[in-house]
Amino acid sequence: MLQVALAQVKQHARRFIAVALAVVMAVGFLTATLMVNASTEASLGNSVGAGFRNADLVLSSGPDKPLDEQAAEAVADADGVAEVYVQQQTHVAFGTAGEAGYGALQNTAPSAGLDNLELIEGALPGSGEVAVDDATAERLALTVGSKLEFAPGAGMAAAEDVAASGIPATVSAIVKASKDPLMMGQPQFFGTSGFIAALADEQAPVQVRSIQLDLAAGTDTAAAKDAVAAALTAAGFAESTVNTAAEQTKEVVAGFTGGTDQLTIVLLAFALVAVLVSALVVANTFSVLIAQRTRELALLRCIGAGRGQIRRSVLVEALLVGVVASVIGVLGAVGLMAGIIAVLQGRPDTEFAALAVPPLAVAVGLVTGVVMTVLAALAPARAATTVAPLAALRPAEDVRVGNRKGKVRLGFGIALVVGGAVVLGLGALNANLLIALPGGAMSFIGLLLCATLFVPPLVTAVGALARPLGVPGKLAAVNAVRNPGRTSATATALLIGVTLVVMMMTGAQTARTAFESELSAQYPVDISIGNLAEDGGQLDEAAAETALTYDGVAAAGLITTGGYATVNGQRTGVYQLTPAQRELLQDQSLTLDADTVLLAEGSGLDTLTVTGSSGSKEFQVVEVSSFSFPPLMSSAVAEEIGVPAPAAADSEEYFSALPQLWLSVDRDLDATALMELRSELAAGLNVQDYQISGAAIERAAFNQIIDVLLLVVTGLLAVAVLIALVGVANTLSLSVLERTQESSLLRALGLTRNQLRGMLALEAVLIAGVAALIGSGLGSLYGRLGAQSALGTFTAVVPDVPWLQLAAVLAVAVVAGLLASVMPARRAARLSPVEGLATV
Amino acid sequence: MTTSTEQSLASGAPNGSGNSTAAAATQALNKTYGTGDTRVHALKNVDVAFQSGKFTAIMGPSGSGKSTLMHCLAGLDTADSGKIWIGGTEITALNDNQLTKLRRERVGFVFQAFNLVSTLTAEQNITLPIALAGGTVDKEWFRYVTSTLGLADRLTHRPHELSGGQQQRVAVARALLTRPDVIFGDEPTGNLDSKVGAEVLSLLRRSATEMGQSIIMVTHDPVAASYADRVVLMNDGALVGELERPGTEQILAALAKLGA
Repeated sequence: MLQVALAQVKQHARRFIAVALAVVMAVGFLTATLMVNASTEASLGNSVGAGFRNADLVLSSGPDKPLDEQAAEAVADADGVAEVYVQQQTHVAFGTAGEAGYGALQNTAPSAGLDNLELIEGALPGSGEVAVDDATAERLALTVGSKLEFAPGAGMAAAEDVAASGIPATVSAIVKASKDPLMMGQPQFFGTSGFIAALADEQAPVQVRSIQLDLAAGTDTAAAKDAVAAALTAAGFAESTVNTAAEQTKEVVAGFTGGTDQLTIVLLAFALVAVLVSALVVANTFSVLIAQRTRELALLRCIGAGRGQIRRSVLVEALLVGVVASVIGVLGAVGLMAGIIAVLQGRPDTEFAALAVPPLAVAVGLVTGVVMTVLAALAPARAATTVAPLAALRPAEDVRVGNRKGKVRLGFGIALVVGGAVVLGLGALNANLLIALPGGAMSFIGLLLCATLFVPPLVTAVGALARPLGVPGKLAAVNAVRNPGRTSATATALLIGVTLVVMMMTGAQTARTAFESELSAQYPVDISIGNLAEDGGQLDEAAAETALTYDGVAAAGLITTGGYATVNGQRTGVYQLTPAQRELLQDQSLTLDADTVLLAEGSGLDTLTVTGSSGSKEFQVVEVSSFSFPPLMSSAVAEEIGVPAPAAADSEEYFSALPQLWLSVDRDLDATALMELRSELAAGLNVQDYQISGAAIERAAFNQIIDVLLLVVTGLLAVAVLIALVGVANTLSLSVLERTQESSLLRALGLTRNQLRGMLALEAVLIAGVAALIGSGLGSLYGRLGAQSALGTFTAVVPDVPWLQLAAVLAVAVVAGLLASVMPARRAARLSPVEGLATV
Repeated sequence: MTTSTEQSLASGAPNGSGNSTAAAATQALNKTYGTGDTRVHALKNVDVAFQSGKFTAIMGPSGSGKSTLMHCLAGLDTADSGKIWIGGTEITALNDNQLTKLRRERVGFVFQAFNLVSTLTAEQNITLPIALAGGTVDKEWFRYVTSTLGLADRLTHRPHELSGGQQQRVAVARALLTRPDVIFGDEPTGNLDSKVGAEVLSLLRRSATEMGQSIIMVTHDPVAASYADRVVLMNDGALVGELERPGTEQILAALAKLGA
């Protein structure tokens, strides 16, 4: 029988394309998802580990006491320690001919063994020398031997002054820019410890990032680790940690990713859906393949193939297709990820990206793909064994719902629907997606099992609409449900895709609505622009007027400080709001009277004393359900206590008292227009993009993410829909084959070719349309419950049905049904009446 | 000119009780289809035996029960009551697995159409029953059968590359290769033109004569039936007569009497 299975796959490889495609996609999706996580960690490790890649042991400060020279001396004497590198870093200002700026300065290792620098040219810096990273060197036209001046980097001292009064140094080397996250994205300098000490001051002290140790050759790492830890404890650094470089990387990366990777979990959920869909598509396609081969299977049974042999043969086919498709899927995933990583590596700020292909991802992908395919083929394989040998001699008999197997299946299906619905309801009530997801999957599978119960009656009901079209219409309505089992299977395949697409659409739409109301509460205004302009100047009324000139900006107001107060132990400015500026607020229910200030959530205060230039006043605190809300009081009260002078540049409250520019935008601006407006504003007001935030911007960014996600998900599910439509065409050609004689008889009795074609097209449209209709209904329901489960904990979910998209889905299904009927109808119509009748 | 009805029944019954010389036999076989008004009595108390090493044809008008008899004999369909023997084994008591085993080891089939697995070569098709049973092919016998049937140079071809006559010859070779107790033919020449049909029938005739192969063939065609050693006539589910080595004329006359 192996021979038969092999010959099947080899000879009819094209028949298996639909199956293979489904498996390839699911496996590729799953594998890529698992690789995203591993590659993110590898990339971060690449970046994080850059600063200590040559160390045997890395010591980092504990919460009790930062590491210092004293700790370094203590561990230097520990057994096995050969060399100690106290890695220090500080923030410096630098100046060179006409150019100035800020950067990071790190000390070099005392010996080559612990050195992390990659020299491009020159030699490691000695006294009065620095090494500079290649990107900065190129930007500032520095070469080995160039002169620079350095000054302590704290405060807002004009960088131009550095050139005149700074400490001079000569560039001794150009090095490759470090991928260390604390060094990246700024000019990088490397000098001696002495040089760093000379440049540090109170505002920008020397930070000991780590103490790195080189162990003597042949030392046992574990023993040395213990000895170093003991030495640290003795010196009073009990809570400092001692790790190997690998351990340290892992620990820091875990700190970055928070231990679990949310993205992976979300993607895995989609991957699971993909696996589920493709399992159903595989099962359906195999069923059709088996149905097409009924006669051949019966012949095999006639000449002596046992039931077991038939089953094994089908399963071997599934195994072969599963293995090949899974391998292609895994390779595709690796290729895709390699492509993405290659693109990332080509960009300067993500060049540390690294591809990780964990064996687990490959294994999980392969095993899932193969097991899924074989499991999905189990039911069709069992169906194949029930083919009676006699079927080789007579036309296949219809399988009706009335038989025992049908009843068992229906019972099982109904139990799954009821059970799944209860679990799904629980998940939605408790807003727990992890409960809702299996519940939804269960009830959906149950519904699919019961499809024979509701699909044929619905097709009949909708088919009544076709009656006015005359005989072809009537015949189409009857023919569409002639084989209820097959009609249901065909509709089911399409139903799956449509349901999931509509579910995603409804879910996305509902999430969008929910987030929009959440964002209005979260941000005070549509757009707020804060902090200093790039030239160090503050935002002023002129900036507000400039902002108003841009298309899409409806109103603008400059918010300035009206007093000072202490919130959460921090001196901060309290902004004053004029009645006109109040119109800018997102939440128009907020009011400001003479006795209240508005504060962000979590201040823990009931009253707040605000000090002005001529007095102070105690206000009642009204908390706003937002974390990003500046303290606000009315401008009238601010006048009473006297508007104070702007805060001094070196004061604690300086940054929290800078004037802000608040804008409201036209309601009908879409995401793209908002992002453009943001860039234009950034350029026009001389600020960075990140300084422009607010509900409108977040909404636009969020909408963009949802749109992209929806597009990706719909794209992925669209392939499932496409495969389902191939299924519709498949079923139709099978019906056409079976009804050859009948079609010929009808032609002989006077049905025109076009009427015959029309009849088949109607049949396809009926099946596809009903599937799309049911799918839309189910999808809306699942989408709504899913959104409730996923978002219920942090916002009120109001169902929002995307009617336009639903209509589009229905239209696509009907048109696709028409297209699916073209090929089979053509074949049926080509047959002359005599030919058809002659064929037995 | 014809043998009487009484004679034929008398000659069938005694051999039916498991006589070892019979390739296949039935005893008091009954079979009905449908219920109520649509009830059809397809086989009524059929007692018949088919001699080993002979070529027998079953003839009768449409609905006479000849196909049902063959399906029951071959273990493809179950009877309501009565017994069936294949080469001395009573098959009415066998379960599906045992029947399957019997089919691949002791029965051969040649159908009207859809005889071959389209994805396999002629050789693979011929050896399929042995492959299914996990046995080894008797090389010499295989060469003898395929060369006798003129298939030696067609073995690597797939069914769609063969003519209708060649396809039927492959089916005959497949049936012969296991040296079954009996080969069943269901209108094996129904889809062939008369010249090619005659070729296939001669082959079956020679298989019985030269290889001692028992063959039972259901047919409509008096010309096809004239190749047989014996023709069994059926009408309304019962045996109504038989002819020994008849000519086409004789068969036509007998059928005319049945009102066919």
